[in-house]
Formats: sequence, structure tokens, C-alpha cells
Amino acid sequence: MIKSRSQIMITSLVVIVFVSTLYVIFPESISAQSEETTFVTHSGSVVKTTGEILDPLYTSATMEFDPMEYLREFNYGQVSKLPNGKTLREFTIIAEDDKIMEVSPGVFYNAWTFNGTVPGPTIRATEGDIVKINFINNGSKEHTMHFHGIHPAEMDGVFEPVGGGGGQFVYEFEAGPVGVHPYHCHVMPLEEHIVHGLYGVFIVDPKESRPPADEMVMVLNGLDTDFDTENNFYAANTIPFYYQHHPIQIQTDELIRVYVVNMVEFDPINNLHLHGNLYKYYPTGTDLVPSFYTDMITLSQTERGIMEFEYMFPGKYLFHAHKVEFSEKGWIGIFLVSENPENSQEIDYGT
Amino acid sequence: MELSNNSSKGKIIASGVIPFGFLILLMVYIFGPGADLLDFGIPLPEITIEKVDFIDSEIQATVRNTGPIPVEVVMADVNDRIQPAAVEPDGYLERYETTLVRIPFEWNAAEPYIIGITIEDGTRFEKEIEAAAPALEFNLDLAIFFAIIGTYVGIIPVMIGLLWLPFIKRISKQKYHFFLALTAGLLFFLAIDSMEEALDISDENLAGSFNGTLLVATVVVLSFLALYYSGNKLVTKADSSKLAKPVAIALMISIGIGLHNFGEGLAIGASVGMGSIAFSTFLIVGFALHNTTEGIAIAAPMSRGRLMIGKLIALGLIAGSPAIFGAWIGGFAYSPFSSVVFLAVGAGAIFQVILVLLKWIKDEGDKTLSSAAVICGFAVGMSIMYLTSIFV
Repeated sequence: MIKSRSQIMITSLVVIVFVSTLYVIFPESISAQSEETTFVTHSGSVVKTTGEILDPLYTSATMEFDPMEYLREFNYGQVSKLPNGKTLREFTIIAEDDKIMEVSPGVFYNAWTFNGTVPGPTIRATEGDIVKINFINNGSKEHTMHFHGIHPAEMDGVFEPVGGGGGQFVYEFEAGPVGVHPYHCHVMPLEEHIVHGLYGVFIVDPKESRPPADEMVMVLNGLDTDFDTENNFYAANTIPFYYQHHPIQIQTDELIRVYVVNMVEFDPINNLHLHGNLYKYYPTGTDLVPSFYTDMITLSQTERGIMEFEYMFPGKYLFHAHKVEFSEKGWIGIFLVSENPENSQEIDYGT
Repeated sequence: MELSNNSSKGKIIASGVIPFGFLILLMVYIFGPGADLLDFGIPLPEITIEKVDFIDSEIQATVRNTGPIPVEVVMADVNDRIQPAAVEPDGYLERYETTLVRIPFEWNAAEPYIIGITIEDGTRFEKEIEAAAPALEFNLDLAIFFAIIGTYVGIIPVMIGLLWLPFIKRISKQKYHFFLALTAGLLFFLAIDSMEEALDISDENLAGSFNGTLLVATVVVLSFLALYYSGNKLVTKADSSKLAKPVAIALMISIGIGLHNFGEGLAIGASVGMGSIAFSTFLIVGFALHNTTEGIAIAAPMSRGRLMIGKLIALGLIAGSPAIFGAWIGGFAYSPFSSVVFLAVGAGAIFQVILVLLKWIKDEGDKTLSSAAVICGFAVGMSIMYLTSIFV
């Protein structure tokens, strides 16, 4: 009686040990197979899987923040005339620091934002306009807005920290000099406040405006999602690989003007290389005559400029960091150039 | 009478169960709904990349959630460069759940790689591979190759060691005790060696949440206890049956050594699998030299019975052939967790055998185990093993 009981116990023990050993040795094979899906690798080969696809390239159809919308969105503010004849542009900027944003498919990051996005809104004015910014800090920490440019010391956003939970401050100054400038929070620890996303672009147009063009803004930035003072992602306009699977559509023989601002921290340099073309480069945009004609510009922290180019031939052209590590971590995009309809009309007339 | 007996039985059961009841109440109070008593601190997610395989145009990483909370695997990279990948069956991992991340990648043999996995909160975990080598895929040729290696390492050296039997048979009781103690010394070394190996593997490949050191300690003790119990049963049975006591002891030694050789087979198979072929050639020579001494361990107790060639060969096979199975598993289905467990089981088995050997020397007349023969034997046994281990 006792003997048989102990035999049963030993047998069941052996079975348990055997089954669990199998589980340990073959952890992945003991599970139901489901139907297969496919995905395409960087080198173009097609791979089948029964599982989920981990691919920041092809799966991010919807994002909270839309880099395509940001690309060509310029904010001119609420415009009014001052008694002295100058133009007043009023903006309201709200800082927050509790937003959890999906920055790459499945990756959630606590972004600190101006008006809910990283980068913050592109503020645009003409040289000599009065820019008035009603700044509200709805965050939990102190924040400010520090503009690069020319303004009085008390408008510098450094020694006047604005308290969280609704603190307010009004920044008012005359827009200048002409060019493209960054603005960012300047509260210590500064690196933390910048890398979390408190920055944006401030464009000052010359009084006699630049030639008409398809204009866009690219903020070159990085995201350190695991806080080890190294960027896990790089991008033009925050979302890694976005413009690679959503190419920027432009036309042949049309002037393209890109306002580029490098906000990458931790890495000393960034750069921008354009395929199949060269661009005229205006460092900081302060001069109306280009300094370089090149396809490669190196940018240090907050270094920025204006790039102008036209494509002769239709097709797909890459633009990316030629510090290739950055491009393989998201800072890469495509210009999809289509034939200009006006062009084809001209050809029609000619033939 | 019967009634009161029943009620007292009920009392005993109740007194045994009541503390459990309170324990459950405590758990409900702490973890139950609405209880936010322990809702402080931030649990940090953690995953461990337990295994990386290099197959045709693809790198495969086996990932386990070894943290306190569920995680989602969302991105894979090779050398810190983001790669499109697939995760099978899916990226959501409960505690201790594993998943397979498949990264299509044209890797180059013998180059080092760092495989990184990022989870939903942006934290990246990585594992460094010293040199990429194609994962072994099961085929008959390779299975035969491993069987031959296992034979070289396990069976042949043990058989050679057994050839000392006629020599041991003819020597005096003192010298015989010397050889028994020598065997104990050899085995003691092997047990420590197995535990060291188990701890190394758990340090390198298992997450902290497995409590590697305690896992090894627990498995060693459990294996010791199990074999101690069944070994004693075997010896008492041997007394009453025709199975001679020396054979019973030799059988236990063979089983202990067999488990140890299984661990050695794992190490060889795994090192071939990881592409360090030169290392494993060295390993094979070392193990072969080393394992000859294991034959002596089996021969020593057997020398006091009749010469039984058939049984001796059987014992040699029990001790040696697990090296073949070890090499197969190590080469084709390596899992760090099972390796740690096997090695620890082997160590426990060996400690049990040492105890049996010392008991036998005692029964044979050396009551205090302090004769020069025993002391020298043990010391020489350890020393021989150390010297031959330098070749491994």
C-alpha cells in the first residue's frame, strides 16, 4: 500500500521534472503556431513571421505628433498694429512636463512640451516686428523660454524662472536679427530640460521677403529614452524614420527652402547630407547671400541655417545624417520629387 | 473511543491549517483589492537576453522577462543600430515568460556583436557575443561527431581507468584505503568543479531574479538528499540480494560520475556550438586525461568483489556515456538554466558518493578516517585532479 503510494509519488515527480525540463530546454517551441505575416528588411529581403513585427520603419502609420504637419506649419501669431506703426505678434505658449508620448512605435517617453509638441510651435515674424509671448507654465517644474537673438537681458529667460502649476511671464522684444534661431527652456539642469523636448524654432524674415519657395522646418533632435546620456533615437522632427516611410513630396524646378536647427544633445556634432543634389547654405540665415554650395554641412549644438535647392529630375532622394549611426537610429528621410505640372505644360507647348 | 480519536485527528489538522489561514489573510490584506499599503516605490522592468543564435541571414535572441512587472518588447538593434525584426509569438511578456526575437541580418562569422532589445518605456538591454558562429542545426553527421567526442571524453578514459582494477585488487588493505580515499578526493574536486561551472553559467546568462547561487545550493542539496535516500535503499537491498555491496557502491559512483560527465558533455557541446572549436579541442584532450581518473574511482570498490567484466563495462558505460547525451544537448538545444540545474544535480550526486565511500572505509576498519593512507589518498586525489584540470 505504502509502497505503491510512494511509487506513484516518484512517478509523478519524474513526469513533472521531465516536462518542466522540456519547457526549460525548448521554451519557444511549445506554443501554438498562428498565421504568418511578412515584413521587409533594410536590405530589401522579405521575411515571414508567425509573430509580431518590430519595425519602426514600416508600421508607424499613426502618431500622436505628426511630423508632416509640423514640417510646413508656421505660426505668425495674432497680428495687430501698434500706435508707432510697428506690427505686434502675440503668441500664447504653454509648457507642460507630464505628457507621455509615443515617440517610436511602442516606445513611450515622458516628453516636456511647448504647446503639447516636440519641437514646440515654429514662431515666425518679420524683422522689426514686436513679438509678445504670453508664457504659461502648467508643468510641475520651473520653466522659461530663452530665445537666441537680440533682446534685453530681462527677456532672456534665464534669471526669471517661471514657477510650475500656472506661473506666467510675458516675453516681449523686437524680432531680430534676420535668420533662423532656436528657442528653448533655460532652467537648470539645462541639459535635462532641453533633451526632454523644450525647444522650438524662431524664424525672422527679412523686411524684403525671400523669394517664394516650398518652405519647411527640420529640427534635428535625439531622444535619450533610457537616461544614460546617450541618444537611443535620432530624427528630423522627433519621430525616427518618419520621413523615410512618409516621403516629403516636392516638385521638380521648384525652390525648396529648409530651415534646419540642430538640437541634438550628448553628441558633439550632427550633419545633413542631401542625395542627388547640392544646396545653397546660409549659416544662421543672417545673410541673404549663401556662404556654401554643398551637399554636406556639419552642425554643432543649436547651430542652424537655411538650405535652398531645386531638383531637376523626379524620383526618390534620401536626406540623412552622414554620421551614419544617427541615420541608422532614425535620422533619415526621403524627398519624393514629382514632375512639376507647369513643366510638363511647357513641354506640351514646345512639342 | 473511535469518535474521540477522530476529533483529536480533526484538532491536529485544524492546528496545522489555521496558521495557513492567517497567512492567506495577511496576503489578501497586503495584495488584495483596495489595499494600497505597499503601493510605493517604482518597480523597474528588466529583461534578460538569455541566448543569441546566428543562423542563415538572421540573428535570433531568446528574451526572458526577469523583472517584477510585465513588459513589451518593441525594438531590436544590432551593434546599437536599429533593425526591423519580428518577435514570436508576441512581444508582451509576463514575468519569466520568454519570446524569440528574429532579426534579419547579414552577419559576418567570427565578428563580435552586441544585440540590443528595447522595451516600451525606452529602456535598452543588451548582450555581447564575442564571436558570431552559425548555430548548430541538428543533422546525423553532427550527432555522430558529438557521439564520437563523447566517447573519447567519457567512455574510453573511464574504461582505461578501469584497467587499474587488477593492480588495485592485489594491494594491501592500507593501500586499498589509500585508493578509496584517493577516489573520494578526486570526486570532491569534481563536485567543486561542477558547482563552480554552474555558478559561472548562472552569473553570465541567468538574470538576478533566478538567485543563481541559491538555485545551485538548493539543487545540490536536493540531489544529494534524493540520492542519499535511494542509495541507502540500494545498499540495504544489495545486502539481501545477490547484488554485492561493492557493486552497489560502484554503481552509485558511476551514476554520480555519469551526471558529472553529462555536465562536461554540455560544456563541450556548447563550446562547439559557440564556435570556439580550438577551445573545445583543448577541452576534449583535458577532459580525456582528467576522466581516466574517474575509472579508478569505479575500479576501487569493485576490486573487493569477484571480477565481473560485464558489470564493470556496464558501470563504465553508465559513467561515460552521459557525456554523449550532454554533448548533444549542449550543441543542439543549449539552455543556460537547464545546464545550471544539471551541473548542480551532478555535484549533489558526487557529494553523496563521497559520503558512501568514507562510510565504507570506516566499515572496512579505519574508524576515525585519520590513517595516513586515507589522509594521503584524499590529498593526492585532489592534487591529481587539480594538475590534470590545468589541461582543460
